Amino acid sequence: MPALLDLDESIRARTRMDPQPDGCQRLVLPYPAVLDLARGLDRQRGRLHGSNVARVELAALTLGIPPERYLRNGSAYSLAEQARLLGSRMAMVGLGGLGGHALEILARAGVGHIRAADGDEFQPSNLNRQLLCTRRSLGGYKAAAAAARVKLLNPAVDFEPVAEFLDEPLMERFLAGADLALDALGGLSDRPALLRQAARAGIPLVTAAVAGQAGFVATVLPGATGPADLFGPGGANGAGGAGAEDTLGTPAPAVVTAAALMSAEALNILCGRAPRLAGAMLVFDLEAMSFERVRL
Amino acid sequence: MHIAIRCFASLSRFTPPDAEAFATTPGETVGQLAQRLGIPPVDLKLVFINGAHVELDAELADGDRVGLFPAVGGG
Repeated sequence: MPALLDLDESIRARTRMDPQPDGCQRLVLPYPAVLDLARGLDRQRGRLHGSNVARVELAALTLGIPPERYLRNGSAYSLAEQARLLGSRMAMVGLGGLGGHALEILARAGVGHIRAADGDEFQPSNLNRQLLCTRRSLGGYKAAAAAARVKLLNPAVDFEPVAEFLDEPLMERFLAGADLALDALGGLSDRPALLRQAARAGIPLVTAAVAGQAGFVATVLPGATGPADLFGPGGANGAGGAGAEDTLGTPAPAVVTAAALMSAEALNILCGRAPRLAGAMLVFDLEAMSFERVRL
Repeated sequence: MHIAIRCFASLSRFTPPDAEAFATTPGETVGQLAQRLGIPPVDLKLVFINGAHVELDAELADGDRVGLFPAVGGG
């Protein structure tokens, strides 16, 4: 096996020229080479310090060589931005409709460290929209299904599942060390607490919710007003009122749209760009096919 | 004077037939408009005019595009 300092050399040796859809030839580190080189590192140094797949991919990106699995990200993320994604830390709460689809996108994108919490188990009413809910996963923990899915998708992702409902003190610990918080909760009740704790942690919060064909996505910077401040914690038949989803439901098109939008914004932030929705909400209505930015 | 109204999610049932050119009078506030449409105050959480969040005492102007939003928390 190559000595430690030979990783760059090993990567160069396994790199090949690949024709791209635009006709250009491009250096690429093939997918099997990443796995081979990571296995070699596993034998040399063990897996104690995170994924060696991520280590190989990071080394390749640093050499200016894209790993094959990220090729079709095209120029949406530069090699430096892709490397930054691999080094980034995200904390997401909720692994239902929004969280399952967001996790799918973020794991495929190569967000290197994802901590995700949900104490819930799958039930049949989740089948209309939740990516991680299948006939097989019914009755099981959402966090366990998420861990299995991430392992299947991208071994470069260091995934930390938490099969617990987080109260506010737990949220504080859960967000520690994260670069970004993702609010993929269902319902109104826990969202204000997550907004507060993200502000306390000093990190941006990307939030989204839907009801029927309508929904929104927003980014809340620490200390700024967020949708949860306006909507409140709700409460059945209480003065706070119910969320509109209690009557309109949560159909898949709106949920997947919101999850894709929040993932795109999360990737913008994690790869080092300015948040595009800071202080604003993107409000959509798929029945009218309308999208509108609202300044909060 | 006329405004355009869009009622989102559970508020869509309060959309008036002439929502694209809804007659209003100078000085009418967003809160008064919501009341005229029959929207229960507890259900109205976010109002925006021409893409900016406003409070219920904001006055309407000719040509305004008004959005009315309930609490939305589904995921």
